Amino acid sequence: MPKWNDIQEQSFLESDARARAVGLVDEGTFTELAGPFDRFYSPHLETLGEAVEFDDGIVTGVGKIGKTPVFVISQEGRFIGGSVGEVGGAKMVNTIRLAVEFYDKLVAEHSDLTDEEKPVVVISFETGGVRLHESNAGLLAHAEVMDQLQKARHKVPVITLIGSKVGCFGGMGFVAAATDAIIMSEYGRLGLTGPEVIEQEMGKEEFDSSDRALVFRTTGGRHKYIMGDCNVLVHGKVADFREALGKLAGLPVSEFEKMRRIGSPELVEKQLKLVALAAEMQPKDARDVWAKAGNADAATLDSKPFDEFVASVKRLEV
Amino acid sequence: MSTNGTEKKWDRRSADTAERMAAAARFIGPGKQFKPEDTVALLEAVIRPGDRVNIEGNNQKQADFLAESLNKVDKSKIHDLHMVQSAVPLPVHLDLFESGIAKKLDFAFGGPQAGRVAEFIRDGKMELGAIHTYLELFSRYFLDLTPKVSLICAYKADKKGNLYTGFNTEDTPTIVEATKFSQGIVIAQVNEIVDELPRVDIPADWIDAVVQSPKPFFIEPLFTRDPALITDSQILLAMLCLKGIYGEYEVKRLNHGIGFLTSAIELMLPTYGAELGLKGKICTHMALNPHPTMIPAIEDGWVQQIHCFGGELGMEKFVAARPDVFFVGPDGSLRSNRAYSQAAGQYACDMFIGGTLQIDKYGNSSTATANRVAGFGGAPNMGSDAHGRRHSTDAWLKCGAEQPTLDRTLGNMPRGKKLVVQGVETFGEGRAPVFVEELDAWKLAKNANLPLPPVMIYADDLTHIVTEEGIAYLNRAPDIEARMAAIRAVAGYTEIGLKADPAETKRLREQRIVMTPEDLGVDRKRADRSMLAARSIQDLVTWSGGLYNPPARFRNW
Repeated sequence: MPKWNDIQEQSFLESDARARAVGLVDEGTFTELAGPFDRFYSPHLETLGEAVEFDDGIVTGVGKIGKTPVFVISQEGRFIGGSVGEVGGAKMVNTIRLAVEFYDKLVAEHSDLTDEEKPVVVISFETGGVRLHESNAGLLAHAEVMDQLQKARHKVPVITLIGSKVGCFGGMGFVAAATDAIIMSEYGRLGLTGPEVIEQEMGKEEFDSSDRALVFRTTGGRHKYIMGDCNVLVHGKVADFREALGKLAGLPVSEFEKMRRIGSPELVEKQLKLVALAAEMQPKDARDVWAKAGNADAATLDSKPFDEFVASVKRLEV
Repeated sequence: MSTNGTEKKWDRRSADTAERMAAAARFIGPGKQFKPEDTVALLEAVIRPGDRVNIEGNNQKQADFLAESLNKVDKSKIHDLHMVQSAVPLPVHLDLFESGIAKKLDFAFGGPQAGRVAEFIRDGKMELGAIHTYLELFSRYFLDLTPKVSLICAYKADKKGNLYTGFNTEDTPTIVEATKFSQGIVIAQVNEIVDELPRVDIPADWIDAVVQSPKPFFIEPLFTRDPALITDSQILLAMLCLKGIYGEYEVKRLNHGIGFLTSAIELMLPTYGAELGLKGKICTHMALNPHPTMIPAIEDGWVQQIHCFGGELGMEKFVAARPDVFFVGPDGSLRSNRAYSQAAGQYACDMFIGGTLQIDKYGNSSTATANRVAGFGGAPNMGSDAHGRRHSTDAWLKCGAEQPTLDRTLGNMPRGKKLVVQGVETFGEGRAPVFVEELDAWKLAKNANLPLPPVMIYADDLTHIVTEEGIAYLNRAPDIEARMAAIRAVAGYTEIGLKADPAETKRLREQRIVMTPEDLGVDRKRADRSMLAARSIQDLVTWSGGLYNPPARFRNW
């Protein structure tokens, strides 16, 4: 395990789940819960004769950023593509549940709590969604995580980080969309059906998954930032994510309502307007939408240096 | 003068060409241009059954429009062609054999079509002449495999028919010279026809007809390796190579094969290489395509000169901006040339390093599998000792002097030896063991009726094997027994490796015939991605100051 200071300078894209979990909170504050020594691993994989991991590919724990208690969930893409099964799902569910219970207890005991003293949940996604080996158990885990997000609503902000190799796809794409805020790097990818699956189902003509520029301008951080699916776009180091997370962590929970994608009649209205716009525009490429958002340089927007991009890009308003 | 009353004719080849070109004259306008829609008819006019025909196409640029047009000719008019060409990577190259337009193939590299080549040979659809190396095939263009008609490709033509092949000149000069100067016919497809060319690579009078193809020719960025995909294990191998071979022999002039290990080495010159104090002592002159992973080492001042076999998509501006390092024309753009670069790789390089799929217990290696006739392109040229070499360098002399048995063949005469290095993880892709009792090449020879198993590098040329277990210095082995023991010692947990005798391995380590990372002072714990000067394609763009423009498929932002 690298030292905390070294993790800060590491590329978030290349950091494993545990380094991200440790590096996102203040130095020396991370305590892992249900860690590898507890050996909670998938019974289904064992039955199938597949290799297991003693943390089931998900690191969970608690730490602090300044005065804010931070409940951390961090997924590991190198274990079966970051897929979520029964045990990993339960670890996610119980981390959020713990945060909500902690919040209730804290508020009951301390009436003068400031916003920055209230807990947040951070999920560092790196997943393709359901672990197919575990079918229904994996699906159920997704539903239970969604349920916990509802319970955390208006109490504990849930903040998503996406900037790891696998990206965030499948059922976990839905989960990320249902959280309060999304921080991405330009290397992060967010979507429902993964590029390879689209190609397999609809053909190479429809979507060439080997064309990485196409993949990124359809699912990548820059595109998601323009579309409003991503709230904050950051550089690629662990420290960059940590800094953005720190800025959000101290905000009052009401502030997060403005960042959400779903969950109110107004937001439903907004989503419907987006659907109507798509039907009207019939875009052939993400660049058409960037141009529609008012970017005259849509054709070269994805190759602009990062800082210039963030400074000048126009985001889609509906 | 006639000796027996009948006039002997000495210009049958040019007369034949003139007759064919007369038949095609109605399609050809000013500037030797013809229309794309006349291409099939033109080919039917100039090609005859049984002709030797070359379609230009290496593993990079492809005369794809002319290849597709040849596939549309009337089979009753044109059939049984003898194709002589570098590579057959496009499906259409094999379709010609399916339809009977072509019958015989002499080539160097199969690429993605390697499976079909094996199948066609087995089914009798294709008669295989031989699998060559590039230089070997090019040499035969000038002796017994001279093409009658060559279908080539270039970026641009001018209104007279001069061609600009520019960055991707590759095989064109060789093909055209062999064809035209034996009075054959050269037909070119170009991406555009312009008033003035940046420079003339092929003069118009060596060309018979030019067509602007409906689409730009297909080109493959085959030599781009994404640093993001380099593993810690490859980094360990790269550390061993740099310390135990590059540094040990101070190898200045070399070729890198294509692969992630050599990319890792390239990316570790400015980091680990610098730490070892090797700047200026190694890698100053290279025969190499413009690998994007070379950018940091070039920018950091390691390299004095690079000559390129071909171009590499996205590297055009970077290369043009570094004319002190690359060979560029008066117009400022690279001129690659496969034949010259291969010759440099064979004769002027002190070392070849590359990977392979299999190495047998004697040290023969091959990338052939049981059902694919892949060929090896240029690796066997560069991965072989050049016996005609007479100039000396320190690295070459040292590698030769280390051979304990030189006196058995040369008496007291000193002689150098090229370093030929295979760097492999003991288990390769799909966890297949790299070290094997018998190469799959034997099965292929049987399946495809080849006269001998296709070997990429023969054991007597191979001087070093590098694996995660360490380095086998095969040039230091006194006999084949010691050689085989050294191979076993670095073969890890493969069947071959499990036969290693620890006592024997210990002796080999004492004799420095085998050296482990610990023997070499390489710290395994340091083998991680922080060793790489660039860890992503975007880092390479940054190193290049924005001059490198990666193809879409390599973008990850």
